[in-house]
Amino acid sequence: MLVLPPLVAVVAASAWVGFAPLHRPEIVFNTLLLGLTATAAAVAGGGALALALARGVPGRAMLERLVVMPLYLTPLLTAIGWSWLGSPHSGMLNLLLRDALGLGITINVVSPGGVILVCALATMPLPFLLMSDALAGLDASLLEAARVHGARPGMVLRRVTLPLLGPAALASALLVFVQVVGMFSVPAVLGMPAGFDVATTEIFRLLETYPPRLGDAAAWGLLLLAITALLTLAQSALLGRRSFATIGGKAFRASGKPPRAQRLRAALAWLYVALATILPLLALLWAASVAFVTGKLRLTRFTAAHFDYVLFAYPKTWIAVGNSMLLGVLTATIVCVLGLAVSWVVLRTRQRGRGVLDQLSMVPLSMPAMVFALGLLWVYVRVPAPIYGTIAILLIAYVTHYLPFGVRATSAALRQLHPELEEAARVAGATWFGTMRRVTVPLVQPTMIAAWGLLFIMAMQEVSSSILLYSSSSIVLSVAVFDLWENGNPSDVAALGFVQLAVSFLVVALVLRVRQRAAPV
Amino acid sequence: MTDVVAVDGLAVAHGGVRAVHSLSLAARRGEVVTLLGPSGCGKTTTLRAIAGLETPEAGRIAIDGRAVFDAAAGVDLPPERRGLSMVFQSYAIWPHMTVFENVAFGLRARGAPRGDIEAEVRRGLDSVGLGALADRGATRLSGGQQQRVALARAIAGNPGVILLDEPLSNLDAQLRLAMRAEFKELQRRLGLTAIYVTHDQEEALVLSDRILVMRDGRVEQAGTPAEIHDTPTTRFVADFVGVRNILPCEVGREADRLVALLPDGVRLDVRGVAPDGPACVCFRPTGVVLSTRPEPGAFAATLTSATYLGDWMQYEVVAGGLTICARGLAKADLAVGGTVFWSVLQEACFLVAT
Repeated sequence: MLVLPPLVAVVAASAWVGFAPLHRPEIVFNTLLLGLTATAAAVAGGGALALALARGVPGRAMLERLVVMPLYLTPLLTAIGWSWLGSPHSGMLNLLLRDALGLGITINVVSPGGVILVCALATMPLPFLLMSDALAGLDASLLEAARVHGARPGMVLRRVTLPLLGPAALASALLVFVQVVGMFSVPAVLGMPAGFDVATTEIFRLLETYPPRLGDAAAWGLLLLAITALLTLAQSALLGRRSFATIGGKAFRASGKPPRAQRLRAALAWLYVALATILPLLALLWAASVAFVTGKLRLTRFTAAHFDYVLFAYPKTWIAVGNSMLLGVLTATIVCVLGLAVSWVVLRTRQRGRGVLDQLSMVPLSMPAMVFALGLLWVYVRVPAPIYGTIAILLIAYVTHYLPFGVRATSAALRQLHPELEEAARVAGATWFGTMRRVTVPLVQPTMIAAWGLLFIMAMQEVSSSILLYSSSSIVLSVAVFDLWENGNPSDVAALGFVQLAVSFLVVALVLRVRQRAAPV
Repeated sequence: MTDVVAVDGLAVAHGGVRAVHSLSLAARRGEVVTLLGPSGCGKTTTLRAIAGLETPEAGRIAIDGRAVFDAAAGVDLPPERRGLSMVFQSYAIWPHMTVFENVAFGLRARGAPRGDIEAEVRRGLDSVGLGALADRGATRLSGGQQQRVALARAIAGNPGVILLDEPLSNLDAQLRLAMRAEFKELQRRLGLTAIYVTHDQEEALVLSDRILVMRDGRVEQAGTPAEIHDTPTTRFVADFVGVRNILPCEVGREADRLVALLPDGVRLDVRGVAPDGPACVCFRPTGVVLSTRPEPGAFAATLTSATYLGDWMQYEVVAGGLTICARGLAKADLAVGGTVFWSVLQEACFLVAT
């Protein structure tokens, strides 16, 4: 119900106005270039990280957490951080290279290459997670058998490990591609100033003009949709029902030797953590706490003025904090409950059409967030419902966009729960409702709370659809950050970015505390 | 004739815990040597150490007279350079390859010429009866077929030694018997040298030329299948090979015969030799004779249970502190609760160390 009308609307709208992308072929090319290269880089990098960590590195447990940190950071902040690190004239890394080290090298991330790099860094945790799971589910004797039958380690990797990771790599490639071509913040921050326009920034530009050219924007949305739909079809044709998950057997075992290779793998992982998380955050912290951003150390003065400004003077901050928190809580809660309901129906009943329900709940995964937002915009501008420009329209967008995560998380939890646990409760005399309340929900609760935390953070940091759907009263934190970035002082942006991160993490820390107290075991 | 596999003083540790202590074994050409023992006894660890999948702490492993591991000399060849093959408990059939590619993998990895590979794979698949399935994807195979592919892969290219890690334990009972016979026939025909790991004593008895019974990382007893079955030397081995009656006893001598002295004046003539130190007298349930009439050398007891086992009846008799298990054809005159007289055939009785 949520998914279909906006889809139809996008199609209808673009047919109405003639197909705008035909007039800007270079943007189509840029979009595809960005999507393909960033996806390739993210999947290759994520796969390398997954392999490196699975084979054992010093400090593996900590690295595993650090590597997925970008999931909790909005790419908007990463991109802004990088714009200060790697802009050609005043970027901190360039100052370091040029002035301190005297090297004649200049990095320029405000460029197509920079957009691709930061998109890849931001999306890498997804392929990392999927391929780590695939590796963990791999029967180690498949690899041992190759060794015993004469293959050197390199050949085992080429002929056995990588082909077995293929399905996971392909699945994650599609998800990353959809994310990248639907991503607004990174191309907006690093691409637009360099004249590198992609579909999302074009959609934004078309809607910013007066009067907004909704029809042309919809045509771009349709193009994105067509590309991702095509890729989804290609992927399912390629994969079929193939899955190499080999249940049972021994788990992938860390190879104890040699230490040199281990250090190399650790260095790779740390490099990623530094590039994707530590450096951009440090740049943000630096920018937020100096009087003004400059490369001249002599002129650098530290001040709390920017925090003071965004917390107490900037009028949008507190509206945005309130809206974001409300949206975060509502989105996470609704998605968890809806997700549990959908996966319960799919897994536990013989209801007709439950397969379709399952498929339908996954559709948003292959639909860029911005395209869905466009559809909503198109529908609710026309429909006389008091939704346009309110938090409700954002909530609809968020819930739809994140529903697949909720369904996946809860169905994974339900799958591990043997149906007989519920059946036993029914046989023992509990009603259906009583069974859900006293058996099912308590048992899936740990997963639900973890999913809730992740969903809350993701909702807090959503940019791509919020940027199209907000109004002055329904502004959210990530949009406020972008707004300041476009119009304001970079140091204030950094300070507001920190407020955003602080609010997200405080709430999640609180939830995790509650979870620890409530944990049944 | 030199040993194809010679393991000497092998010691393996897992995260600080010794899994194998100073183990030695040797297999001659064409021989099947079985490591038999309950789970956790170190048999799989030993096999993996021979394959090069575990790094031992001490000892020496030689294959075809060449040291592949020697702690003292600092030799440790990686698995791919040991010239072995292995059948894994989970079969480890690569799911992204066809049957043909699975079997050809080792030949290709070791750089065999193209024409040889084709012929060798055909030969391997034909010998396990899978010639028709060469092009089938490996995921579309039944358990028994996967087992056969694993076997074909292991014999392709005539490796010096095949290692088998509980290869039949994932099959259902009937298929297990069929595959057992098939493997035995193949092994004889091709003259394979194999190290075989199992926890199933019957499998070990049928397949092996020699058996090493392992316990807590050590060899408890080594011998031919007949020796292990008929003359266990320790209580652990006797128990493991299914001797039901193991009774602590005193050992006495009458003239040149050994006798086991049990409580309540029960005396059993035993064969063999007496162990040093405390002993148990052992006999299988089939060696017990039950009768309703007192006969010379028989002891009175109460029949406490009779269990129908199909071909056999299993009886339990209790006399004083002794409980004895007997097995035989059904006898109509034996009634539960009644008095019976039991005796044991001398050739069925032997002594083990406790």
